[in-house]
Amino acid sequence: MNGHKKRLGRVIAIALALGSFAVVEGWAQDVPTGDAGNGKRVYLADGCFECHGRSGQGGAMNYPAPALAQLELPVESFVAFLRSAPNDMPTYSAAVLSDKEATDIYAFLRSLPGRKPAKDFPLLNQ
Amino acid sequence: MRKRSTGPDVARRNFLKGATLAGAAALTTPVAANTQVSITSETKPKAAVPGPRLAAAETMPPSKDPVTQTSSGGDFMVDVFKTLDIEYLAMNCASSFRGLHEAVLNYGGNTKPEILTCPHEEIAVHMAQGYAKIEGKPMAMICHGVVGLQHASMAMYNAWCDRVPVIVMGGNIIEANKRGPGAEWVHSAIDPAATVRDFVKWDDQPTSLQHFAESAVRAYKVATTPPMAPVMLSLDAELQENPITDAETLKIPKLSKVIPPQGDSAALAELAKMLVAAENPVIICDRVARTPAGMSRLVELAETLQCAVVDNAGRMNFPSRHPLNQSFRRAVIGQADVIVAMEVNELWGSLNAFSDRIVRASRPTYKKGAKIVTLGSRDLYMKANYQDLGRYQEVDLTIGGDAEASLPTLIEQVKRLIDDGRKAAFEARGKKLAAAKQAAVEQAKSDATIGWDASPITTARLCAEVYGQIKDEDWSLVGTAIRLTWPHRLWNFDKPHQWNGVSGGAGVGYNLPASLGAALANKKHGRFTLAFGGDGDFMFVPSTLWTAAHHRIPMLYIVHNNRAYHQEYMYLQAMAARHGRGITNTEIGTTIKDPNVDYATVAKGFGVYGEGPITDPKDLGPALKRAIAMVKSGQPALVDVVTDPR
Repeated sequence: MNGHKKRLGRVIAIALALGSFAVVEGWAQDVPTGDAGNGKRVYLADGCFECHGRSGQGGAMNYPAPALAQLELPVESFVAFLRSAPNDMPTYSAAVLSDKEATDIYAFLRSLPGRKPAKDFPLLNQ
Repeated sequence: MRKRSTGPDVARRNFLKGATLAGAAALTTPVAANTQVSITSETKPKAAVPGPRLAAAETMPPSKDPVTQTSSGGDFMVDVFKTLDIEYLAMNCASSFRGLHEAVLNYGGNTKPEILTCPHEEIAVHMAQGYAKIEGKPMAMICHGVVGLQHASMAMYNAWCDRVPVIVMGGNIIEANKRGPGAEWVHSAIDPAATVRDFVKWDDQPTSLQHFAESAVRAYKVATTPPMAPVMLSLDAELQENPITDAETLKIPKLSKVIPPQGDSAALAELAKMLVAAENPVIICDRVARTPAGMSRLVELAETLQCAVVDNAGRMNFPSRHPLNQSFRRAVIGQADVIVAMEVNELWGSLNAFSDRIVRASRPTYKKGAKIVTLGSRDLYMKANYQDLGRYQEVDLTIGGDAEASLPTLIEQVKRLIDDGRKAAFEARGKKLAAAKQAAVEQAKSDATIGWDASPITTARLCAEVYGQIKDEDWSLVGTAIRLTWPHRLWNFDKPHQWNGVSGGAGVGYNLPASLGAALANKKHGRFTLAFGGDGDFMFVPSTLWTAAHHRIPMLYIVHNNRAYHQEYMYLQAMAARHGRGITNTEIGTTIKDPNVDYATVAKGFGVYGEGPITDPKDLGPALKRAIAMVKSGQPALVDVVTDPR
């Protein structure tokens, strides 16, 4: 229990520092074990995309909702974050989103292509 | 049993003889018929002799009932509008102002003001709101003083919150004995403006034409004196319709030039001292630029200080790509030792983070000990009922005065205080801010690449595609449903007319008609007007497109079609997650699906060019090109783009 609280505290501290659970450079990553296909289904069915976009590009509610494509948060921190989210981010209990589903969403987010070099897009350089 | 007669009563005909021309005409029947009647009447009892009152009524000369007139009060009202240089009168026609309507057309020649036909009063007011923010002066609208005003009221509230002058008028029939039965009663009120008095700056119900002239000029002056706001005049129908009886005494008062109130010079000098001494001053601005001069003055102040500017974008305050524009780096507020808020409606919201949770909590986002100064006209006129004032923010100095008008004095005071030492510090500060700005721009470009080829189309891709095609035009973006995000992150806004702010009161149904009003103002300047509007917003007032087609107002309207009332969708999802009862039902009541709306076809039905629905990003560029060609030919065009939510 204490370990969980400590971990959660760490997640929240990071989230507050970064505005939310943004990409954290340099975090060691385990290979996601979730089912990205099912993760996509849940991500769309449960409406995660409403704030964070279907491509994980981010968006906004009352405050900016961060991009999640290629999320670099460790999976256990991601799940812990969902269980007790800060600010305007809804908290998703296990009753509405199981650990398995959360892990699948994580795998989906990790599978998204994410950013590309902006210099390759003429429309972004005008 | 008495034989029933079917013919007219000759004796009664004698009473009526000569009483009224119309009556006589009706009784002039063919001779043969009269003869027959005459025979029949012999077998019929004589008619009863009328009583003395009826006899008097039928034998007295007719009362005076003129059927034409050579002038009307409405004519004089039109003269007043011309004096005030009112270009347009937006309306949905109604009998309570038929007198004025006719006078505008046939006495005024339908010019200054020219009538704009609007299918809803909300459209008329919002058009006036959008127009005023581009043209810098008010437009008039008129409606039924009761039901029409009720329709208009939400848009009036938006204009109130947005600090925009609109001359609102409503028809009324003041004298009870002059009202015809039915509609004229239910559409009359003792005090029509009571419905909207909480969000107009001033109102009146003139009872004579001289009273109207004085009140119209006063209304214009009050509306355009900062803080600007809508005003309301209730116009008696008889005053509009009936002949002018006192033409020789009528006089239209002169409209004097309005000088916006400037902040106290000693207070501005104190602020200048604080700004020059500060290590990290930040300017937060919202509705500063009232005129094209506003932006250049704010740029001059910021460049003199080399300080950060956070633009809440209530007006075109500050160039989007200026190195000192830190609007997407709000963390600068947390580092500031002096914060100057200029014409900010809700300062508390800019200086505090708020969590919408079971226990609603907040925390300041500014540094403890930071000096906070407000400069603006907002405190000079407030009302109590509607809470558009925001939570009370403790500040160190409040300077009551119009920010744009106060800027020259503030700039002069700042320049006077800067020595070489401070100048060097400012330059170093400016370089850091410029580097941070460049990094933010690069971050925006990088963010925009995520999901570039996705369908539904990302809002970043949409905005990049649109900008690619309009950037070489003299463009003016006058509406957004994508919040203040991608256009302001990616586009180069550097001219005063390139942005005109948002609704003010967040009343849905603003974007389409307000954009059209702005497009009308831009038309005579030859500018290319475009707007992004949400599908939910569109559904409130789609008939605005008919007005666009009818008056041939060129505008590119892009429907940001996420098939939902999206903000509410997210709120409902948060509520469902909080209650732990499942989050998959939140589409119910929040989405616009089943059936999907085909906005391009809706547009065509109103006589407007329509493209879409566009779902593949590859189709977007060509569709935009066709629509832009249509707009450049002088017509409105709509492109329906099926997008990701935000």
